[in-house]
Amino acid sequence: MTVSTGSTVSTSSTTTGGWFRRKRPVLIVALAFVVAVVLAYLAAPKGGESYAPFDPESPDPDGSRALAQVLEQHGVDVEVVRSSKQLEDTEIGSDTTVFVTGTDALGENTATRLRERTADAGDLVLAEPAPYVSTMLGIPYAISQTSETVEAGCDDPRWEGLSIRADAVTTYDAGSCFTHDDGAVLAPGDGLTVWGAPQVLTNEQIVRADNAAVGLRLLGATDRLVWYVPALEDLAPDEAHSPSSLLPRWITPALWLLLFTVVALAIARGRRLGPLAVEPLPVHVRAGETTRSLGRLYRRSGDRTHAGTTLRQAARTRLAQRLRLGRDATSEAVVGAVARSTGRPGLEVSALLTDAPLENDHDLITLANALAALEEEVRHP
Amino acid sequence: MAITWRVPVLVLAGIVPVLLRPTVGTAALWVLIVTALTLLDVWLAPKPSTLEISRSRLGGIRLGESTTSDLTVRSPARRVRALVRDAWQPTAGATDNRHRIGLGRGDSTRLRTSLRPRRRGDLRALGVTVRAYGPLGLGARQRTMPVAGSVRVLPAFEARKHLPSRLQRLRELDGRAAVRVRGQGTEFDSLREYVRGDDVRSIDWRTTARSRTVVVRTWQPERDRRVVLVLDTSRTSAGRVEGADGGVPRLDSAMDAGLLLAAIASRAGDRIDFLAGDLRVRSRMRLAGQRDVTQRLQEAMADLEPVIAEADWSSLAGAVAGLGRHRALVVLLTPLDPHAIEESLLPVLPVLTQHHRVVLASVRDPELEATAASRDTLDDVYAAAAAEQTLRRRDHTAAMLRTLGVDVVDADAESLPPALADHYLQLKATGQL
Repeated sequence: MTVSTGSTVSTSSTTTGGWFRRKRPVLIVALAFVVAVVLAYLAAPKGGESYAPFDPESPDPDGSRALAQVLEQHGVDVEVVRSSKQLEDTEIGSDTTVFVTGTDALGENTATRLRERTADAGDLVLAEPAPYVSTMLGIPYAISQTSETVEAGCDDPRWEGLSIRADAVTTYDAGSCFTHDDGAVLAPGDGLTVWGAPQVLTNEQIVRADNAAVGLRLLGATDRLVWYVPALEDLAPDEAHSPSSLLPRWITPALWLLLFTVVALAIARGRRLGPLAVEPLPVHVRAGETTRSLGRLYRRSGDRTHAGTTLRQAARTRLAQRLRLGRDATSEAVVGAVARSTGRPGLEVSALLTDAPLENDHDLITLANALAALEEEVRHP
Repeated sequence: MAITWRVPVLVLAGIVPVLLRPTVGTAALWVLIVTALTLLDVWLAPKPSTLEISRSRLGGIRLGESTTSDLTVRSPARRVRALVRDAWQPTAGATDNRHRIGLGRGDSTRLRTSLRPRRRGDLRALGVTVRAYGPLGLGARQRTMPVAGSVRVLPAFEARKHLPSRLQRLRELDGRAAVRVRGQGTEFDSLREYVRGDDVRSIDWRTTARSRTVVVRTWQPERDRRVVLVLDTSRTSAGRVEGADGGVPRLDSAMDAGLLLAAIASRAGDRIDFLAGDLRVRSRMRLAGQRDVTQRLQEAMADLEPVIAEADWSSLAGAVAGLGRHRALVVLLTPLDPHAIEESLLPVLPVLTQHHRVVLASVRDPELEATAASRDTLDDVYAAAAAEQTLRRRDHTAAMLRTLGVDVVDADAESLPPALADHYLQLKATGQL
């Protein structure tokens, strides 16, 4: 009961084979890791760069490179501007249309500068501006969304007979072209235009309905097109709009309270009522454990001959007892008596009980079972 | 200190002021208030050390029985609401050991914890933890105080189920039953009339010739012989062998055998001495003339545990000699472990066998035979070879012991007690004590 589990058998092999065998689990894990990394690299999309939606240089399904390239082919000078500073350096005249996608990244500062720079422009088109941008620029509010086909249905000759269709089209509470549900997709604002269907211009959806024609007419009306993609880096530090500014004011203190509640609960539940009850634990070892360990030692040293001899000797002793030959019967006497008792040839019994060589492990198993069978045969002839 | 579940609930209730005045400052102030209240409550809580706690004494029980431990808690100074935990070591099987108490000033109460030990030996109480709550029920003072207590768990003595049948056989040996046993060394008792069923060989012809009826001699078995039980508590006795409830340590099975033998021998009028030891003698007891032999023997065995050491048989044999020079039946309750026996026991055996009749009772492990017979895989075959080797050495040792005049009783845990008892009865019947 109060006995330790005994000594563990340790083998220290110094050969390289032994090293590999001992480190095998580590090696397998390392190999699996390398394979996983290589596969992940191979499976990753090529090209590396990722674009925001509606980007004029993006070949992705939600990019707009197709439209930009077609516009260039039709003689429109398309210039892509990606920062506020670049916008300052760009020449913008009355023959220039400025198209802004990714308006989420506009801040108060950049929006004002955009308005200043585009005062002389032929047109300023904002693609589906975010609500707070709408507030800043004083432009129409979005009122609904649809995925149905929207007919132009207005007097403007540019759009005559055209219709658009996209997964999501936003309509605004101003304008008269592309109307749907009391709102219009193309909404004129204070010196600018809001286009509620930028998806119409994407590589994937431009082929639907008259999307392509509408895109070309919307952006190709002038000789020059400045495609402005605002960058977040241009924002002044205090301008970033975090989601928290949109939440109710009591949320933060409530979350703090909740945190303290959880802490208090943890303390209340975690305080143990007194120390752990310890047991001077007796260790129970199975009495047969030493024998099993001895067996494992034999196995590890591969001492087939010794194991075979032991099994044969035990079988001879039991057979001698069974056949009443006395404790000191010689093996020849046992072989003879067994052969007579079972009717097997003496040579076979002799090979089994004394001298058949054991070439491999399989021989050993066969021998062990043959001995058991022989004993059984003698016991119940 | 400790806090109760009321504290988190109170903190959460701060949502109301936060809704009225939604700033982080409100939340912070609320948490501060709750903290202050809790600390105040802890400060106002009664000190657990002012309670007077005492434990009633526990007697011994047998393994498998249950008992209860009573704590008396008295609050001399003030009103106390508290949670009390009576902690025992896990194998004592203390259930429902948490008690809620509410005591007025000067009141006392009795807390009852039921115990169902799962192990033999002295099982101890670890301490009494008191969590005394403050007036608001927010905080509490907590303290663990040692309140000594222990329960002595005696060996189960499972083998007592064999007692009636063995006592019956003992009576058959005795002069009371119709059947007589005549053997060398049994003592002449008396003459009486022949009844049918008596052995005709026991007819006393000389007396019959003088009287009108046939008279037989009766004998009674020898009485007042000495039986010395020597229990080995060395490392070999720690091994667990197959038996009831998934296995018992060899020591426990040997105890069972010893108890059964002592119960029968004391009924047969023999005097019993008990020795237990390994490197040194752990327990020594003379039970001559005692009435409750098994009870006293169980007490002596209760806290014996195997130790990691070889048995020193020369000192144990010395202790046997110290119990008296008279011829005795010496029963060695030790596993038949070839190593231990050849190294330590064999050298002292001749001295023992010269003076006494020696029986070695060993708990056999049925797993050995099972291992030797299982030959399905390579591992099995090697294990079988190892088991055969062990068995052969055991047989060899047993044979050697027999040539030295020692009777070897080798049986598995379940059947060792009756086997040993039968061997004793046989010795008794043939008058070899």
